[in-house]
Amino acid sequence: MSGSLFPTQEIGSLARPRWQTLGTRDGGWDADAQAEFSRWDEAIGFARDLPDARNAVLAGRAAELAPEAVRDLGALFGLRFLETVGLDRVYDGEARRIEMYEYPIRRMTGFRLEGHVRSFDSKYYRKATVVDRVGLEHPLHVEEFDFVRRHAKAEPKLPLTGPYTLADWSYDEYYLARQPGWKGPAARRAAKREFVVDLARRAVRPTVLALVEHGCRTIQFDEPAAGTHPEETDLLVEGFNAATEGIDAEFLMHVCFSDYRALLPGLLEAKRCRQWAWEFANRDGDGADGYEVLRTLREYPGHPSIGLGVLDVHRDPVETPRQVAERIGRAAKYLGDPSRLWVNPDCGLRTRRLEVARAKLEAMVAGTRLARAEFENPRR
Amino acid sequence: MELNVALTSPFPRSEALVRATRDLDRGRVPAASVEEEFRRGELAVVELERRLGCDALTAGFLRSPDLFRPIAERWEGFAIGSLTRWLSTNTFFRQPVLLAPPGRVPGAFAAGLPPPLREGPGRARILLPGPYTFGQLLDNRSGETDLAVVHRLGRLLGDEVADLRRQGFGSFLFSDPLLVTRSPTGPMAESVVEAYRSIGRAADGGTSIVWTYAADAAPALPLLDRLDVSAVGIDLADTEVDRIPPGPEGRGLGLGVLDPRTTLAEDPAEVVRVVRAAATRRRAGPVWLGPGAPLDLLSAESATRKVEILARARSTLAGGPAR
Repeated sequence: MSGSLFPTQEIGSLARPRWQTLGTRDGGWDADAQAEFSRWDEAIGFARDLPDARNAVLAGRAAELAPEAVRDLGALFGLRFLETVGLDRVYDGEARRIEMYEYPIRRMTGFRLEGHVRSFDSKYYRKATVVDRVGLEHPLHVEEFDFVRRHAKAEPKLPLTGPYTLADWSYDEYYLARQPGWKGPAARRAAKREFVVDLARRAVRPTVLALVEHGCRTIQFDEPAAGTHPEETDLLVEGFNAATEGIDAEFLMHVCFSDYRALLPGLLEAKRCRQWAWEFANRDGDGADGYEVLRTLREYPGHPSIGLGVLDVHRDPVETPRQVAERIGRAAKYLGDPSRLWVNPDCGLRTRRLEVARAKLEAMVAGTRLARAEFENPRR
Repeated sequence: MELNVALTSPFPRSEALVRATRDLDRGRVPAASVEEEFRRGELAVVELERRLGCDALTAGFLRSPDLFRPIAERWEGFAIGSLTRWLSTNTFFRQPVLLAPPGRVPGAFAAGLPPPLREGPGRARILLPGPYTFGQLLDNRSGETDLAVVHRLGRLLGDEVADLRRQGFGSFLFSDPLLVTRSPTGPMAESVVEAYRSIGRAADGGTSIVWTYAADAAPALPLLDRLDVSAVGIDLADTEVDRIPPGPEGRGLGLGVLDPRTTLAEDPAEVVRVVRAAATRRRAGPVWLGPGAPLDLLSAESATRKVEILARARSTLAGGPAR
């Protein structure tokens, strides 16, 4: 790690470079994609570990590359993008995944994919219906982790979608249909519990076991749905525990856009969770204090460390290093223990253009250095 | 039993409209081509509503970015704030920021209504945010108390309804889920009653419905029964029928009988059973059936499949053969 205080990490996804999108489609590369590749390669030298593929692109023979080779380049791009910013923990920007829900669901059995649902404005996602008992033919993410492990210079942290979120974001036919009569609140809750536990035991746990066997030491459970039903925190915890029980690895849980107070104290029952990585920056500013909620954690002295969101991933204006440092300082004051803070974006930066994401991450790293200096060498 | 059927929320966008709006976002197509797609989508929803025998038409409200922006972007006093989770769903709205006491801009809201509704106001159902949910979910920096904001929103929504009544619109549905998820008490409850009094006066012979969902409505029904509306809507996916208290005899009752959080089609026989049970327990007058939570939690295809249940349940309840 870069220092004793405030290690930095990413949270998950990055926007996909245009050359990767085009390079994995039939139409292939165009001049803009080629130029984008060259520009980033010059800036961060990401493709040097794959010289054959790199040379093919730079020589104008990118069309000869198989989609898998382009995806390898994409994963390496994500990895170096994050490493060269100076983060302590990195991954590949989820370069091989469509997104955090559809990608795992497509690799499980028992689901039928439905059409698009609007998330907000003109942003949409696809949901699936569970129509049979959940299953998994092959553990997820193992090949992508192997690739990252082979190439990473910083410590890798693998993000995966947690069982509660997978259940919450799916339509339930199979488990709900097993409940007799009208599907009122009691029937829906009983069905959901069965669904979450099946996902945890039959899909996520086998994945975690396989990843650990392949050398993965740090795994982040993405549970953005956690805050949507605080009254179901016990289901969230039951799923997390069923997926991780008895497994030797460091587990984190990422939750965002939620009222964290409502998850407490139930969330403390996820005993193997070492860090809660939460979004704060989105709710900070314009007179609002997004970090004030951390005061609440003083009531729970045994709580995990906090992954502190300091970058708003839904807006383009780039935070200044001073702003980041101030947020860290404020959070440390509220928490009462700076040694329990990691620093990260609110959520995955996929929502921002790569140039904006890069500038934000650079500001985050610079701001963290400022904060570290201020805490380690306080003015008298 | 006097029975009515209608949609209660925006309809999901079709796959074609999803593509078009995404392409517009990415600068790939001009706004005019998306406008054509919206128009096609609205006509398709009207066609569906006619086929289902809906007693009021919504045309899907496909253009609404969320519940609040049709108002917040057209009235005075608002800015549009950060992305905020919509209740307990995986969808979001941009939180309205109230910077000054709100002011209505006459005609602005009506100008944004779906064209098929403007062309035939007599059968249209207008979807509006309920004053309580609106007032509670906005970021109030106006200097007024939250109580005063809810009260003022009620009055302004009443003015909007009065204006729409003059244009020939007669059916208004106020989506007010926080009345059951975060039920008001004390002075705020009185402010809500007053807000709906303004709306009720303005509706003047039209149909006004307050629609709730996302939580058990039973505890809130004593308050809901005080609201000056034609009918109170409750979601039977969140409210156990056998916990519903009796209501004022003959009062209009809205029943959310489709659960858009699952693609599992409701059993029409079960729908008929719970509708009869709920109407009996409430001693209800006219009954309005519709989806409970917002239908755009489903894809367009699933929603289209699911709303067919409304017509089948209605047919059985009206004495037709069970299908």
